Amino acid sequence: MKRLMALLTACAALAGLFAIGQARADDKPLTVGAIYVGSVNDYGYNRAMKDGLEEMKKNLPGLKLIEAENVPETAESERIMEGMIQQGAKLIFATSFGHQQFAFNLAKTHPDVVFEHAGGWMQAANFGNFFGATQSAWYPMGVAAGKMTKSNTLGFVVGVPIGYAIGNINAFEMGARSVNPSAVTRVVVTGGWSDKAKEAVAANALIDQGADVVTMHVDSPATIIQIAESRGVYSIGFQSTEARTLAPKGWLTGLGFTWGQFMTATAKSVIAGSFKPAMVRLGLGQGMMAVAPFGPAVPDDVRALVTASADKIGAGFNPFTGPITDNNGVVRIKEGESWGGDKMGNFDWYVEGVVGKAK
Amino acid sequence: MNTALIVGVVASSILSATSLLYATLGELVGERAGIVNLGLEGILLIGAATGFAVSALTGDPYIGLIAAAVAGAAVNLIFAYLVVERRANQLAAGLCLMFFGLGLSALIGRPFIGALIGGLPRLPLPGLAANGAGARLLSYDILVYLATPTAGLIWWLLFRTRWGLVLRAVGENPASAYAAGYRPASLQYQALALAGFMGGIAGAHISIALTRTWAEGMTGGRGFIAIALVIFARWNPLLAIAGALLFGGAEALQLQLQAAGADVSPFLMNMVPYLLTLLVLVVWGWNRQSVAPAALGRTFFGVE
Repeated sequence: MKRLMALLTACAALAGLFAIGQARADDKPLTVGAIYVGSVNDYGYNRAMKDGLEEMKKNLPGLKLIEAENVPETAESERIMEGMIQQGAKLIFATSFGHQQFAFNLAKTHPDVVFEHAGGWMQAANFGNFFGATQSAWYPMGVAAGKMTKSNTLGFVVGVPIGYAIGNINAFEMGARSVNPSAVTRVVVTGGWSDKAKEAVAANALIDQGADVVTMHVDSPATIIQIAESRGVYSIGFQSTEARTLAPKGWLTGLGFTWGQFMTATAKSVIAGSFKPAMVRLGLGQGMMAVAPFGPAVPDDVRALVTASADKIGAGFNPFTGPITDNNGVVRIKEGESWGGDKMGNFDWYVEGVVGKAK
Repeated sequence: MNTALIVGVVASSILSATSLLYATLGELVGERAGIVNLGLEGILLIGAATGFAVSALTGDPYIGLIAAAVAGAAVNLIFAYLVVERRANQLAAGLCLMFFGLGLSALIGRPFIGALIGGLPRLPLPGLAANGAGARLLSYDILVYLATPTAGLIWWLLFRTRWGLVLRAVGENPASAYAAGYRPASLQYQALALAGFMGGIAGAHISIALTRTWAEGMTGGRGFIAIALVIFARWNPLLAIAGALLFGGAEALQLQLQAAGADVSPFLMNMVPYLLTLLVLVVWGWNRQSVAPAALGRTFFGVE
C-alpha cells in the first residue's frame, strides 16, 4: 500500500512538472529543436550546422534552441524529436540525411510543427528540405587539386556512395580535368559517414597509390586531413572551413556550409506564419556555401583560378552539361542536355577519369 | 599487383591487427579462467576514450596509454565482481557491460572531441631510412612492436608457469582446483584484471595511435570480432596472432583494393572482412573437437 502511494505521488509530481514545463514553453516567442547525427566538435558537418543555428539564434533574440547531439539515424531520432515537440518546439531541424523518414512521420502527426530536413527530398505542407548545392561547388575544388597535384593522382574518401556524394566526386574530377587533362581521381568507400578507423586506412591506401591531394565526403574531415598532413600530402576540406587548422602545411582550400542565413529566414517565416515548404538547394554565391581560405602552399595564380571558377559557378555555370561520358566509355549526358539540381541524386556512375565502381 | 598495393596492405594490416590482437589476448586469458566476457567492446571503448582524454590532458600519449589500461582493468573488475562474487549470468552481465562501456566512454570522451593530440610516436627501427617504403613498412608505434612479444608472454604465462596452470585448471574444473587448495574466485579476478588491462590497451591503440581522434562508438564492433578470434585461435595465444592478422589484413585489403581501382562493388568490398571471419569459423570448426575450457561460462557456486 505504501509503495503504491509513493508511486502515485511520484506520478502526480511528474505530471505537475510537465504541466509547468509546457506552460513555460508556450510563453517564449519561438522554440526551435535541432538534432545532430554526431558531435558538434567534429570540425565538419555538425559543426557547420551548429554554427548556422547559433547565427539564427543571434539574429532572433528571445528564440529558444533545444539541441541533441549524437542522435542515431534510427527510430530513436523520432523519440528525441517528439520530446522536443513536447517541450514546445514549433520548428525542428533534422540535420542528417538518415533522419528524414522519422521527421516525416512526425510531420504527419504534428501538423502544427514545421520540419526542415537536410539533404533529402521529401516534402509536405509542414516539411521542407534544404542543402547546399554541393555538386557544382566541388568543381573549383577540383581546379585547385588539378593545379597543385604533381603525381596527377587525387584521392577521394567517401562514406556512403549516395547519388549526391557521387555527384560531388564527378564535379571534383571534372574541375581537375579542366585545368589538368591527366588528372585521375581514386575513390575509396568506407561504408559509413563516420568510421574513423576505416577513414584512416582509406586515406593511407589512397596515398600509397600515389595520391598527393586527398579530400573527402564524410562527416568529419579531421582524421583524413591529419593523416594527409602526417604523410606530407595536400588536403582539401569539406563541411566546415574550420578544418584548415588541422593541416597548417598541406591545406589547399575547402568547402564549407553557411547555413545561418537560410535558418534565420526559415525561423522568421515560422514566426510570421508564412512558412512554405520547398526543396532548397543553394550553392556558392547564393549564401549556402563558401570556399574556405587558401593554405600557405597555394600560389597566387592558382588562387586566382580557383576564385574565378567559384565565381563562375556562383553566376550559374553548370558543369553537368553534355556530352559527358562515364568511366566505362558510355555517354551519360548527351550533347545539349544538362542535369540540373533536381537530378543530383540520380548519379550512379563516375565520370571519365575517376577510378572506382559506383555501385 | 603493384608494389604500392602490397606494401600498403602489409603496413595497414599490421596496424589494424594490433588492437585486435591485444583484445583477443585479453579475452583469451579471461576465457581460459572460465569467464566469457561479451562486454569486451565496452572495455575497448573505455580504453579508447580514457587514452584519448588523458593524452589530451597531459600531452603525453604514454601516460594516456597507462591510464587506458588501468581504466580497462578497473571496469573489468566491476564485471568480475558481478559474475564471480554475485554469480550473475556471464552472458547477460557481459552485454550489460558493453552498453555501460558505450555510455561511460561517451561521457569521458565528450569534453575532448575535436582535441588534437600528437598520439603515440612512430618509432623507426634503428638504422633504417626515414622515408620511402622502408618508413611505411618498418616504423610503427611501440604497441605494434610489443604485440607479438605480448602474445608470446601470455602463452608463456598460461602454459609454462604455475599460475597459468592453476588458471587453466580453474577454467576446466573449478571444483577440482578448489579441492586442490586454490581459490577459483581469486584466480578469476586476476585473469579478468589482466583481460581488462589488455582490452584498455587495445582500445587506446585505436584512438591514440591509429586515428588520433575520439568519436562515440569508434571501435566499430572490434570487440566482438576479438571474441570470435579467440575461438578461431582455439584459445591459444600464438594462433591469435594469425587470427588478428587475418581480419586486419582483410579490412586493409578491401580498402587498398578500392584505392587501386578494383572492379568490384564497394558494398561487397566492405563486407569482405566479416564474410571472411564467418567462413573461417565455419570451415575451422567443422568436425573438430571442441577445445574450449570445459567450465567456460559456467558459474562456480562453491563447495560447502
